Amino acid sequence: MLLLLAVLLVTQLYPLLWLFAYSLKTNEEILSGSFFSLPSAAQWSNFADAIEAGNYFRYLGNSLLVTSLTMAGVILLSSLAAFAITRFRWKGGQLVMLVFLVGMMIPMQATLLPLMVVFKHAGILNTHLSLILPYIAFQMPISVFILSGFMRTIPHEIEESAVVDGAGVFRIFRSIILPISVPPLMTVCILTFINIWNEYILAATFVSAERLKTLPFGVYSFVSQYSANYGAIGAYLVLGAAPVILIYFLLAERITKGMVAGAVKG
Amino acid sequence: MNVLKVSRWTIAAFVLPCLIFYAGLVFVPVLVSVYSSLLDWNGIGESRFVGIDNYIRLFTADPVFWPSVRRTLVLAVLSMGLQLPFALFVAILLNRFIRRPNFLVSSYFLPVILSVVIIGQLWKTIYNPTSLGGMLNQLLTAIGAGDLTRAWLTDPDVAIYAIYFVALWQYIGYHVLIQFTGIRNIPADIYEAARIDGAEGLKADRYITLPLIVPIFKISMVLAFIGSLQSFDLIMVMTGGGPAHATDVISTHMYNMSFLSMKYGYGSAIAVFLVGLCLVATLAINFLFGKLDKRYS
Repeated sequence: MLLLLAVLLVTQLYPLLWLFAYSLKTNEEILSGSFFSLPSAAQWSNFADAIEAGNYFRYLGNSLLVTSLTMAGVILLSSLAAFAITRFRWKGGQLVMLVFLVGMMIPMQATLLPLMVVFKHAGILNTHLSLILPYIAFQMPISVFILSGFMRTIPHEIEESAVVDGAGVFRIFRSIILPISVPPLMTVCILTFINIWNEYILAATFVSAERLKTLPFGVYSFVSQYSANYGAIGAYLVLGAAPVILIYFLLAERITKGMVAGAVKG
Repeated sequence: MNVLKVSRWTIAAFVLPCLIFYAGLVFVPVLVSVYSSLLDWNGIGESRFVGIDNYIRLFTADPVFWPSVRRTLVLAVLSMGLQLPFALFVAILLNRFIRRPNFLVSSYFLPVILSVVIIGQLWKTIYNPTSLGGMLNQLLTAIGAGDLTRAWLTDPDVAIYAIYFVALWQYIGYHVLIQFTGIRNIPADIYEAARIDGAEGLKADRYITLPLIVPIFKISMVLAFIGSLQSFDLIMVMTGGGPAHATDVISTHMYNMSFLSMKYGYGSAIAVFLVGLCLVATLAINFLFGKLDKRYS
């Protein structure tokens, strides 16, 4: 029984460790080596090659920009909607939730084609905007679910006393509800980060200018361009995975909790 | 009871930005797809209204379509039939035998958060022929199973299985995590009471964990099923649907038709089929589990 757990640990982690060893090898070592050999001397030059020839920092910067703008948009729009759904006295809240529920079942790929046509006409194809807009939209349902699940539990006495003190609706939202909602907002940020940081298909379809591409596409194009420099490819894959793994090391607990919350609420 | 009584305008100011944004970027495109699936259109030039011709061709005359539907469904069945029970089993073991399971759970989970581009390229490298340093073939040779070595991703007979494996591999940690969290949330006093009644260890799991995990298992099922129907980027990265359509699934077929063959109308028809399948499947799973819930409660 315990053996099974250990075997699973090996199958889940060994390929990643193998990749790291691979990225430090020379081409000769890779082509002749056996499956568990270590490099005789660490070829850090592979990493230098990858960073320089693969424009690593440019792609990294683009990914950071796109992901953080998406996060800002998601948080702004979904917290406004969640606030209205859970705290206003009106009948439409359930209906709005239903719209998002149906929307969650729609696969992103099905919108690729029409969005491409629309973006082309709007003249925003091949800009970061053509990624950020659909990214925000596709993160919306899960974010609204998580935020409204939390906001529903905030006691109403808080607003009652705020209204007595003369606070307007927007003031209540900004100064009371938002600060209380920081934990679920963190969850939303984590889910958005993981999904958007890794997104590849839209990034490959809507953006064609090399200088605007995000990291997953950078990895892809580096691999296809330098197909004979195995060590550098390995290094680029390691570099591509590094930001997420680093964040995972720091926030593992939060991330796993956030992903479970995302799954259960969704 | 919500207390804030506000004007329609205030409600609109809070809800509409989100709703319009969402509808405009998700629902409207799907409706546009429904419309363009009735067209013969290459995306640029003149379009011609052809009614349901695209669908007729798709269902009756496309040699790639039904095999790709089958592959999509096989992945879903493998995921629900092998991956999920295995993940549940692992979660039960973790909960029962490991004192500090968090390290293992987070390690199993690590591949989930990596980009499919990285996962795909990593496994492409692992599947490489021995002459290119592929780990799997080296491993097979090392354990004396040299006849099993092959070009995993270019052999049409095995390529799709190689991809299935990677898809199941990447997400198993996700389902372990979900099930494990579900088990942790079962109140301890239920197990306590069962122990007094003589149910301990795996027996307790059989009579307590399994029935009580059903709602969480359902979530995993929906995720696995929808995830399989939408499986796309991994295949695009690893094979693009080749060799000779041997690894095409519904969405890669749609992508290749729309963006490589420039048959927008036809591609839209596939997209509409996919959306319909996702909706029907989610409803069906919820319905089935609704019945199951009733029987157990």
